[in-house]
Parts: sequence; structure tokens; C-alpha cells
Amino acid sequence: MAEAMQQNRNGGGRMTRPNLPPGVEAIRISSNENPLGPGKAAIDAILGKFPEANRYPFNSTPLDADLEILIAKVNTAKRENVVLGVGSQEILKNTARVFTSPTKHLVIPSPTYGDPAGFAQNVLKVTVKSAPVDPKTLKTNLDALLPLTKGAGLVYLCNPNNPTATVTGLDDIKKFVAEVHKTSPTTAILLDEAYNDYADPAQFQTAIPFALATPNVIVARTFSKAYGMAGVRIGYAIGHVDTIRKMARYRMPYNVNTFGVAAAVASLKDPQHIKEEVARNKQVRDFTLKALKDLGYDSTDSQTNFIFTDIGRTMTAAQFREACAKDGIMVGRDFPPLEKQWARISIGTMDEMQKATETFRKVLRPAMTTASGKGQ
Amino acid sequence: MTLSRRHFVQTVGIGAGAALTSSIWGRGRENAIWSAIEPDLQAVAPGVVCIASNENPVGPGPKVLGELKALMEGGKKPGRYSNQVGDLTDAIAKHFNVKGENVLLGEGSTEILRAATQVFTSKTKALVGTIPTYEECAGYAELIGNPVKGVKLNGDLKMDLDLMLAQAKGAGLVFYCNPNNPVSTYVGAKATRDFLTKMTQQSPETLILVDEAYFDYVTDPDHETHVPFALEHPNVIVARTFSKAYGMAGLRQGYAIGNAETLKKLRPWCAPSGTGSLNLFGMAAATAAIGQDASFTANERARNKEVRDMMMKYFKDKGMKPADCQANFMFVDIGTPAKEFRDACRAKNVLVGRDFPPYEKTHARISLGTMEEMQKAIKVFDQVLGKKTTTAAA
Repeated sequence: MAEAMQQNRNGGGRMTRPNLPPGVEAIRISSNENPLGPGKAAIDAILGKFPEANRYPFNSTPLDADLEILIAKVNTAKRENVVLGVGSQEILKNTARVFTSPTKHLVIPSPTYGDPAGFAQNVLKVTVKSAPVDPKTLKTNLDALLPLTKGAGLVYLCNPNNPTATVTGLDDIKKFVAEVHKTSPTTAILLDEAYNDYADPAQFQTAIPFALATPNVIVARTFSKAYGMAGVRIGYAIGHVDTIRKMARYRMPYNVNTFGVAAAVASLKDPQHIKEEVARNKQVRDFTLKALKDLGYDSTDSQTNFIFTDIGRTMTAAQFREACAKDGIMVGRDFPPLEKQWARISIGTMDEMQKATETFRKVLRPAMTTASGKGQ
Repeated sequence: MTLSRRHFVQTVGIGAGAALTSSIWGRGRENAIWSAIEPDLQAVAPGVVCIASNENPVGPGPKVLGELKALMEGGKKPGRYSNQVGDLTDAIAKHFNVKGENVLLGEGSTEILRAATQVFTSKTKALVGTIPTYEECAGYAELIGNPVKGVKLNGDLKMDLDLMLAQAKGAGLVFYCNPNNPVSTYVGAKATRDFLTKMTQQSPETLILVDEAYFDYVTDPDHETHVPFALEHPNVIVARTFSKAYGMAGLRQGYAIGNAETLKKLRPWCAPSGTGSLNLFGMAAATAAIGQDASFTANERARNKEVRDMMMKYFKDKGMKPADCQANFMFVDIGTPAKEFRDACRAKNVLVGRDFPPYEKTHARISLGTMEEMQKAIKVFDQVLGKKTTTAAA
């Protein structure tokens, strides 16, 4: 039951997710989480912090500052290039607060991760301008975004992009930033690299070195994805010292919890675990993509721990979600404007995805032969 | 953990504003940005007595730790975004016998304090609070460019409610920290209620944020929560934290209780549900903590009082006057600058509180550790402050 419940923050009450039939155990492939959770090093670090639950992060061992220093070290940067957030959530919000205003708009591709635009629009009363992703590849269309950036406060690029799972190359990003800064030198560009670990290095290169050298370019990272710590709420921003200084002013004091700090430090010292997780994810992702392909459904070129699949000739994302939920398979939410055609499926364990693909076969196959299920 | 961590913070984020605040409000926060005027940021190494941050020295207790251990078994849960916001909201609502809509969760009460400052102050609507008090609201008001009006304490270092009333007319937000940090003094329940009533009459658009962070440590019989008042008056909210008596400062959980419509204004500025929710350790621990019966806080209050009584006597015997103390820390007129005292204590592995202007030349804030820790601290204080003062014999 707890699985189905979530607080509706507008009223403090609860809203209900699609309920499962009684006795059906949920397979949660809806939120792009690492299904295995953190590695042993992180778990041990958390357990070791129990005696320090009473200590603020500035009195704990390790200090929150130690995590910043370690992140800086891993990225060949200095501590002043890094600021911690409660997940990358706080980073995304604070970036919007620092760089947008009612007269300085936000630019995003559509679709993309929705929180920055939601916060900017609803809370900060900031205008959001968007350009659709490429209709064929669903890759972020930088050429279409460029004309929107004039006078913008901030451009948000999620790379790899959620929910499309696609990657934008670093060279293209650099060219884009140069073009933006030609006409609009103070416009900030936030590169959300939440899924960076899962991307193929042949396609994806981190923008961190670029951000370190380029004012008003920020990279956001999180421990919620490959590091398996979505519930732990640790993220960070990294960039040029002048930019990070602006961000750091908005950082909430004592923002990160001490268990999370310890777990993140332990994880960063255990890169082998991430390597294994990335390989595991790729294997299960390939399996899932093939299963859907065998059913006749194409997906985008996924560089993440989720896939984005064109099920449009059979059903909408909402119909797919409901049908899957009957078997306890929880897939991703709607992603307008593509929700009539595309579904996001997170990659669980191999065992979970074997079960999930059985359901997909059942749910998606009948319509294949008639190809008329849409709209039912 | 080395001593030089804060070298960085001395170079980051300190504008003229922060310096101004430090002179008016007694900034000196331990966090990354504000800590620049703090001399040291240091993890508590083994053997070091940390009585600097008003933490509960004994932690959250076996029930909460047992809950956390159960949560960690299997190790998968930290990989999931937590859905426990509803459970924690329910547990808090049950504890206060209110509805979920009367509860607002935050990443520590810090987030509540910030949200209230964000929403209720403006360029023309000031924040009003005592000098000194807990600095969060003032620091944040200044960050977003809104005015701050400080109200002096009376000679006993207590809130001067008549002066507050006069100053608070037409304000956006009144920060009412009771017991008040760093001075540890307390205003009785009846006087507070009268103040809130008068404020409601004279300035109904002003929000009064009653910060009850140290509520559980009060032993004064004239003591009650102002949650019922807040529920009946949309211009009052009460902030609480799990960082003090519940011993969970590391887990970052706090909340506000108040009128549903008032809290609705603050919600967009606090942690949402789903992917942006609070950390799962904190929520699980807080849910277990507040579900305990009243003996948990009663025991912690009694433990603290015993230590506090000993320390009050110690300083009185020394001829150094501590302010009337109703919290888990004390504010003592040591007659020398806090910085000198702090540095000397640190050299002997005892960490005491930061500077609190305008009293930093004479007063030190000392948190209350365990009895054993305070006995160690006393030995250090004896060395640093002198064994006996000339006035102590009487």
C-alpha cells in the first residue's frame, strides 16, 4: 500500500498511484532507479554512521566538506568548483533561482525532465520556451533551441535526455554554447548529467572539464542513478568558480544528510561497482530492447537505464501503463507531447525484465495483428 | 579530518551583506557559506568533546536505530525514491491530533524557516526577530534582499515582548524562537499566547513563526506548545525539528504545523514528494521517533536537566552568570571574548559554540553533552577560565 501512496504536496494529503490487483507484487520500472541499490561499500558506510545520527553534517565524519573535496578530486577540480545539493533536485531549483526571472526565461527541449520547467513556471513565474526534439531520432534539437535562447536566463539540457534516453555529443554542446553566448553572453547553460555513467563513451563525453573552464556552464550530477541512492538524496553542481559561487549562496545550510555523505564518499572510492552496474544495465537493456524489437516495436538509441519505446500504433502510454499494472509491472508516466505514442520503461534486474517483457508480449501483441488498438 | 577544511569557505560566497548581518544578527553558521567567520569547521574526532552545535549527545535511541537497521537489511531500499512522505506526515499529524494538511515537512526546520522567509517577507515587509537569535531567517532574508529588523533582548537576555510588538507592526514575518537560541532563555506559555493574540489583533497580515526546536528541553512549568494557537490562527505557524531532543541532526528532518491555507503558500518552497522528497533514512527514523510514547522526550529532558543543573551550578560557583536556561545549551557571561575561550578550549579537544554578536566579547554558548563529557569539559574550562574567580567564594 505504501508503494501506491504519495503525498500530494498541494494539500498535504495523499494521492493514489494505479493500484495493483491484490497479491500482485510490484516490479517498479517507472522511476529510472538502479534496482540493486548502492554497493556494499556504501551500505557499510551507512551502517557505520548510526552512532553519528545526532551530529550535524559539519560535525560528522566524513564532513559534507569532505565529499565536496572528493568530488572535486575525482573531477580534477577544486572544492570551490563544487556545491552539494539534496539530490540534483536542489541544484536544478537553485540554478533556476539564480539565473531565471520573470524577465529572463528558461529554454528546454520538449520533452525533457520536467522539474526545472515546473518549478520555474509555477513557483518562480518564469516563462518557459521549448523546442521539440528531432521527430525521427528524438535527439535534442539544438538548432531549434538556439533561436529561443536570446535573452534567456537559462537553458536546461538533460544529457543523456530523460525521457528520450538519447545523447547529445560534447562537440555539439560546445558549439551550441558558443553560439548562445555570442548573442546572449550571460545566459547560463545547465547540463544535467544524471545518467552519464550509463552512456556509451563513444557517444557521450562529460561536459565537466568544459564547465570548469567556461563561466555560466554548469553540470549537475546525482547519486540517485548508477550509484543506486535515489532515496539518499545527494547530488551536486560542478562548474566555474564564479558560477558555483552564485549557486552556493542558495545552498540550504546543512542540506545533505550524514548517512548520504558517508555513502557517497564510499561509493566514489569504489569505481569498480559503477563499472559493474553499467555493464549489468547494458546487458538487461539490450535484452529488453531486443524483446520489444522482436514484437515489432522500435526504441530510441538508449544511453541510460531506461528506454523510450514507440508503442503508438497499438496504444497510448496511459493504456500501456494500466495494462502492465494488472501484472504488477509499473512503467513510466506520461511524457507530453509524446504520451500518445511513446512509453518510458526503466531497466530493472534481468529477472524483473524477463517478467516485464512477458507482460509486454501479452499487452502489446494482440494489437499487432489488428493494429487498431489505439484509442480504445 | 584536518583543520583546514574551511579555507575554501573563506573565499566563497561572503559578500558585504553577510558581513553586515554578522555585525547585526550574530551570523556564524557552521555551514559552508556562513561559516567563513567561524574559526573552524571540524569533524568530531574520537576523544573530542563537541558541545558546539546543540546536538543531543546520546542520539535517537534504540527504537529509531532499530528501524534504520531494518530498513538497510537487504540494501535495496536506498536505491529507490522514497514514498514515505505520506507515512511521516500521518505520524506527525497523529502525534498532534491534526490533519495531514496541517503538516508541512522540510529538510530540517531550516527549509521551513527559509520557506516562511521567502513567502512572507518582501522589499517592504521586513523580518523581525531578536538580536541575537537563530540566524537562518535573517541570513535568508538578506540573501533574497529583504529587510531585517532586530529587536534587543532585555537585561536578562529574554525577549522583550513589548518592544517586539512595537517593532513587529506591519512586518512580513516575526521569527519567535522559544527557547531562544543562542541565549537559552524562555518566555512562558501565557506570555507567548498574549503576544500572539496582540500580534494577531494589531498586525493580522504578519506571519509569526514560533520555532519550538528546543521545546522538549523546557522544564519551566508554564510551558505548552503553541500548535493549538497556530491551528486556530492562520497568521501563526509552529516549526519543529528532529535535530534536537530526538537526536537526529544528521538526518535532516523538520516540519511546520499550522493552518492548511497558510502552509499551502509554503509548500512550493519545500521538498516535494516523489523524486524530490526527503531522504529515506530521515523519514523512516522520524516516523519511528515521533511514534514513541512521551517517555522518550521525558527521559531526554530529565537527562539534559541533570547535566544542565550541574553546569549552572558550576558557572554560578565560578561567579560567571549563565542566562536562565531552558534548553540543551547555555549562554554564559565568561567575561572574555568567546573566540579566545573557544580557541583555548579547542586546543584541549573541547569544541564550544561560535560567536554571537553583540555578546561575542563577553558571552559563550556551551551546548550540553553527556555528564561524562561535561565533566571532561569542566576540567578544560577550569584551565582556560581559571580554577576559581575572586568572586566565586561567596
